Amino acid sequence: MRSKRILILVEVAIFSALALLLDVIPFLSFKLWAQGGSVSFAMVPVFLMAFRWGVKGGVATGLLLGFYQVLTGAYIITVLQTFLDYFVAFGVLGIAGIVSRPVWQAIKEEKKKAFVFWIFIGCLVGSVLRFIGHFAAGIIFYGSFAPEGQPVWLYSLLYNGGYMLPAFILSAIVISLLIVQRPKLLIR
Amino acid sequence: MSNSMIIGQYVPGESFVHRLDPRSKIAIIFFFVLIVFFANSVMSYGLLALFAIGAAASSKVPLPYIMKGLKPVWFLIIFTFLLHLIVTKEGDVLYNLWGWKIYEEGLVQGAAISLRFFLLILVTSLLTLTTTPIEITDAIEELLGPLKKIRFPVHELALMMSISLRFIPTLMQETEKISKAQASRGVDFRTGSFKDRIKAVIPLLVPLFVSAFKRAEELAMAMEARGYRGGEGRTKLRELSISKLDYYLYALFILLIIGLFLTRS
Repeated sequence: MRSKRILILVEVAIFSALALLLDVIPFLSFKLWAQGGSVSFAMVPVFLMAFRWGVKGGVATGLLLGFYQVLTGAYIITVLQTFLDYFVAFGVLGIAGIVSRPVWQAIKEEKKKAFVFWIFIGCLVGSVLRFIGHFAAGIIFYGSFAPEGQPVWLYSLLYNGGYMLPAFILSAIVISLLIVQRPKLLIR
Repeated sequence: MSNSMIIGQYVPGESFVHRLDPRSKIAIIFFFVLIVFFANSVMSYGLLALFAIGAAASSKVPLPYIMKGLKPVWFLIIFTFLLHLIVTKEGDVLYNLWGWKIYEEGLVQGAAISLRFFLLILVTSLLTLTTTPIEITDAIEELLGPLKKIRFPVHELALMMSISLRFIPTLMQETEKISKAQASRGVDFRTGSFKDRIKAVIPLLVPLFVSAFKRAEELAMAMEARGYRGGEGRTKLRELSISKLDYYLYALFILLIIGLFLTRS
């Protein structure tokens, strides 16, 4: 079916733009630390596309979001680190889409608890994979400028874990609330 | 309008750097990131710095804009420098401040690595300062062209990028409109407890997403009605072309690489 293909294309494009916007609009991000760290809703549109169109749609949305992050100013230290930090980490967010079938099933049967559970699992899978991407990139990143013998994996763990955990919780809550209110957002 | 500036930090201009083909810029930056790690002497760092600062100067982007791009990394640059100063304990002791010894090696290492960091950020931010997002998208499509052979949807990716870029200002206005409408009904986005703020976001996101789906459907229908059927045989309004300037850049860059390897210790 060709018409569906074009629709996926356009929806992914628009929702990746939305994800970027949610990331940059100041009043929508939650300040975590005084020194700049903040958590935004950028993952919400990516997860939404993942649950709506499955892994492919989610990964495409994530990849595009990663690319826009590079365009709006990225930390480019090594080629591999950039690739992991922006393309792999955001791309794998879309793997949350592996639960799209159980989510639809639960929505169809109007089992609220079941779909909140599956959405939570999906968000967890996406967030953990994204964290692994940033964690690996962080080791390269800190490793390239920290002195020899420093526990770079610990820096990477603390830094990336420090915002990924709240971002995961925030996104899981927001997307569950959204879909409880409007299950139609997922029905295509 | 501020809307057109929302993505990226593009500063319009007519300089040498602005007029280069975006494909050349991306390729040169890619190789610059690779070769920075080969520098290991004062001279070789000097050459890299000369190239990077020369490129920044010839772009004629006003200094405040460049500094703005570097702002988030100043902290890291200084932190790196201090970390090396504290941790490295090799070479001669240069100063002794109340029992805290600064070693020569620490100073050298710290300076070299912070400089490397600074140069990388400077050169990569020059790309977004002197190239419009549309140009970058076109360049990415061309550069990823070979991936078409392994059935990677290069054309679709580029199309999605340009659709996103087109919609960012529209979605921005929409977000503003909806948040104002909801604020006038008493929703408070800025203050309150964590729970209250999450709850406040829902009435913003629901209409935003619903209208985004509507726009997507309309655009998909319009594309279909006009016979869009993928990348085969599609033509472009703007064609990229390699000019004399790009060849100068390549020559300069090859000289830089040769110089770098001659001055390495």
